[in-house]
Amino acid sequence: MGSKVFEKLKKDALDAETLICARCGFCTFVCPAYNDTLWDSQSPRGKLYQLRELIKNNKPIPADFADRIFKCTLCGACQEICQTNIPLLRFWQQIRQEINEVGHWPEVVKFLDNSIQESKNIMDLDQEDRTLWTDMVDDIVEDKIGVPAKVAYFAGCNISFKGTLAPIGESTAKLFDHLGIEFTTLGENEFCCGNPYFVAGEWDKAKELAEHHLSELKRLGVEMVVFNCPGCHRAFNEEYPHMLGSESTQGIEFIPYSEFVVRMMKEGKLKFTQEYNHVVSWHDPCELGRHQNIYNESREVLNAIPGLELREMKHTKNKADCCGGGGLLKGTNPLMSVRISERRIASAEKTGADILSSECPSCMMSFNDGIESKNSEIKFKDLAQIVAEALGL
Amino acid sequence: MLREKQLQALADIVGEDHFSAEEYMRKLYSHDVGALPGLVDDILKTKADAVAQPMSSEIVSNLLKFCRKNKIPVVPRGHGTSGYGGALPTKAGVSIEMTRMNAIYDIDHDTMTIEVGAGIIWSKLLEDLEDEGLTVRAYPSSAPSSTVGGWVAAGGTGIGSTKYGGVKEQVVDLEVVLPDGQIIRSANPPQEFLDSIEDHDYKYLANEDEYLWAIGKISKDINDITDLFVDSNGTLGVITKVVLRVIPLQTIRPLVASFERKEQMVWAMQDLMKKTKPFYLHFITDGFFGMLKEVGMAPESTHPWLILCAFEGSQSSIAEEEKLFKEAIGDNFGVVESDHLGEHEWAERFYPMRIKRLGPSLAPSEVYVPLKNIVSFIERCDKHFKGESFALEGAVTDTGEVAVLAWFLDDERKTISFLMGWYRSLDFIEMGLKDGGRAYSIGMWNVAHSRSFYGKQELARMASIKRKTDPKRYMNPTKVFPGPLQLSFRFNLLILIVAAIAVPVVLWIANILIGDLLSQYISWLLVTDVQSAILAFGIGLIIGVAAIEVVNWVPITFMLTMGRPFLRLGRKIFH
Repeated sequence: MGSKVFEKLKKDALDAETLICARCGFCTFVCPAYNDTLWDSQSPRGKLYQLRELIKNNKPIPADFADRIFKCTLCGACQEICQTNIPLLRFWQQIRQEINEVGHWPEVVKFLDNSIQESKNIMDLDQEDRTLWTDMVDDIVEDKIGVPAKVAYFAGCNISFKGTLAPIGESTAKLFDHLGIEFTTLGENEFCCGNPYFVAGEWDKAKELAEHHLSELKRLGVEMVVFNCPGCHRAFNEEYPHMLGSESTQGIEFIPYSEFVVRMMKEGKLKFTQEYNHVVSWHDPCELGRHQNIYNESREVLNAIPGLELREMKHTKNKADCCGGGGLLKGTNPLMSVRISERRIASAEKTGADILSSECPSCMMSFNDGIESKNSEIKFKDLAQIVAEALGL
Repeated sequence: MLREKQLQALADIVGEDHFSAEEYMRKLYSHDVGALPGLVDDILKTKADAVAQPMSSEIVSNLLKFCRKNKIPVVPRGHGTSGYGGALPTKAGVSIEMTRMNAIYDIDHDTMTIEVGAGIIWSKLLEDLEDEGLTVRAYPSSAPSSTVGGWVAAGGTGIGSTKYGGVKEQVVDLEVVLPDGQIIRSANPPQEFLDSIEDHDYKYLANEDEYLWAIGKISKDINDITDLFVDSNGTLGVITKVVLRVIPLQTIRPLVASFERKEQMVWAMQDLMKKTKPFYLHFITDGFFGMLKEVGMAPESTHPWLILCAFEGSQSSIAEEEKLFKEAIGDNFGVVESDHLGEHEWAERFYPMRIKRLGPSLAPSEVYVPLKNIVSFIERCDKHFKGESFALEGAVTDTGEVAVLAWFLDDERKTISFLMGWYRSLDFIEMGLKDGGRAYSIGMWNVAHSRSFYGKQELARMASIKRKTDPKRYMNPTKVFPGPLQLSFRFNLLILIVAAIAVPVVLWIANILIGDLLSQYISWLLVTDVQSAILAFGIGLIIGVAAIEVVNWVPITFMLTMGRPFLRLGRKIFH
């Protein structure tokens, strides 16, 4: 095995990045995992330093170090602040793949892998239950499943199967209905988008899922897919063309929910008229913000709602702190995940907001756990819920 | 190595969660931003035995008392963001990392001072002060990750120093835990502490090592000894709390100008220092600009010699200074660049190491040079370091000096060449001295400059405290006070083995070559058979032991001074 250690990393010329690291430590104090422990072993700088030695000596990643590497939300704050522009997101993904090569993937990641392979979703549930989220909006969605349409809605595993997240999907369906948009969903043919594989660095395993989704969307004549989940959105928007070539997604546009709402507003199809008297603090989801540089649309939507006051936290946009839910941390280290979430909630509380909002089911899960654990007065609402409530849907 | 019992005792003092003796932790808390040649690791004990992260001054005090009693070296540490070796262990021991003491204890709007834990990060402090409508007067370019205590201990100048001076000018008072565990306030130390410092006559001895122990004088009329602890690199104690001056938060207006020639740039900077009061005045050379271009980070400026000048104040005072700035740039044939470029360069003030990608290793060095001599200094460096890839940048201080920072590109994977390249960092300071400059920071590598850096009187006073509180020098050994090196076990063993083998071999060869001659005088020493070889081996062992004793008393200054010409020559051969 010795000679094959870090083979893929070396092939992608990423092994030298551990030497390029300036050890300036800028990445440490923006890293949610470091801030949770205040030990350098948990910081990106510290991990790079340890990897540098392993790569130099051609030694495999030991199990305890693998565990520390997975204590990371893949929020990308380290990449954003990096002195020497190291592509750290891609680097950590590759390292997670390397961990799989040496057989040290955490149990929860192995479970996800098995579940996706066997059940096509991350919950290991029957695909027949994919449309559980539609229960409360059955009248809207019932005849939309698997029908040809130009607009498709991709709910993703979390919204589809987790009852607490279903209101996000429901609100989106209500908006489509309100706007009179003919849309489609893939129903049982909606599989996991492959995001857990990207997060775990196993792009090859996600290829089949990508091909399936693109073929289904093309079969139904879809031209635009709307996402509430930024993880799914990034999978379609960035990873699929990266894996299958840019021509694979030609003719289909993938847009996050906020952008869809802004378009409707600009086309004059949507206007907020009712007062929505709340103070809202906006949290930029990492997969949409730092990973894809999408920041403005959500703010445009919130600012268009009469009565709504948007109060920004100190760290926003590309400097936003993580909710604690990314990088599979919620599964691998749930307690750390909650503590990170509590810190972000504390920042939101400082603004005096009564609602903390974002557009991400994973953030919603994290924040709801954090709010409960912190016993906070603040409420979390997804952007789709705020829009639906503001429209009186 | 520390014994299990000692490790447990240390863990009990600091708390299990804040203590580690794991191998990987020991390595992580034994480096700074500089990459060390592998040989240094072989020669010195550069890996801490354990890491402690104290939460309070009392814990620090208990740690130091225990370490002193058990003769365990202690290396205080901020976040390891310097490159001058001040936070590196040289004799193993305990690395005390201060980042858990990160609170803001007091904000006093009347006296415009704040009291903070030494482990607070500058960027966090700046953010929190912003809420109070305040800011610090100067902060280091490593602010996103460096600690307040770290900068105070390492010394130096930074952003804001063009107007408000270096770190020394920012500190009002310190809480310091002395090596004997006593906790004092530097601005008002207990009288008995001042009285207890022996009042020797000032005396400088030729031997640098004796210097520390032969002198010592704290004048009885000095009550505030804060200055002695600033830039003392943690050799006099662990800084636990810092009282800093603050100012009201005002507008910052960053402006950028570019020049075709270095002379024009330096003239413009001299004009600016005469006519305006910049908050921060910084330049990069055309070489630096070229490297930024290579990594795709160069600003789109008209010319490659670039200055960033930031003014701080009210809108009206800034408008006035901006006018004078434009005049000074125009008078010196420069181009005032766009506001966008100004904002970009201001944001880049924390990112001098963008160019590291070209290395992938960087060797830093820094020296103060008078602004009027900068052209000569740059030319001297260009000539001296011909054939080396390096970039220079500089920031002007309130005293008209420029803190010039050199970044030498290198590749640590080329072991021998990288080791030999070490001479550059040392030579760079010598170049600065020739142009009327002085060392920037002492740390470990610049310890030969301690006397000129601190001044004889201040170093004498520092030595007095050291002598009183840390006679065995367990507190950050080999820093500031150039003591003897203590080599690693494996290097000592190597000396012993080499001596034991070399002696019989040399005598055997001598016997072959000039046996007749030697047999007339030292026939008993000649190696002719197994028995005589064993005798020579024994003599070799004795010589080896003697050599170890001698080498272990060689001061680091001697090693660095004597080694430099060899490194320089070696670099020419191996580079």
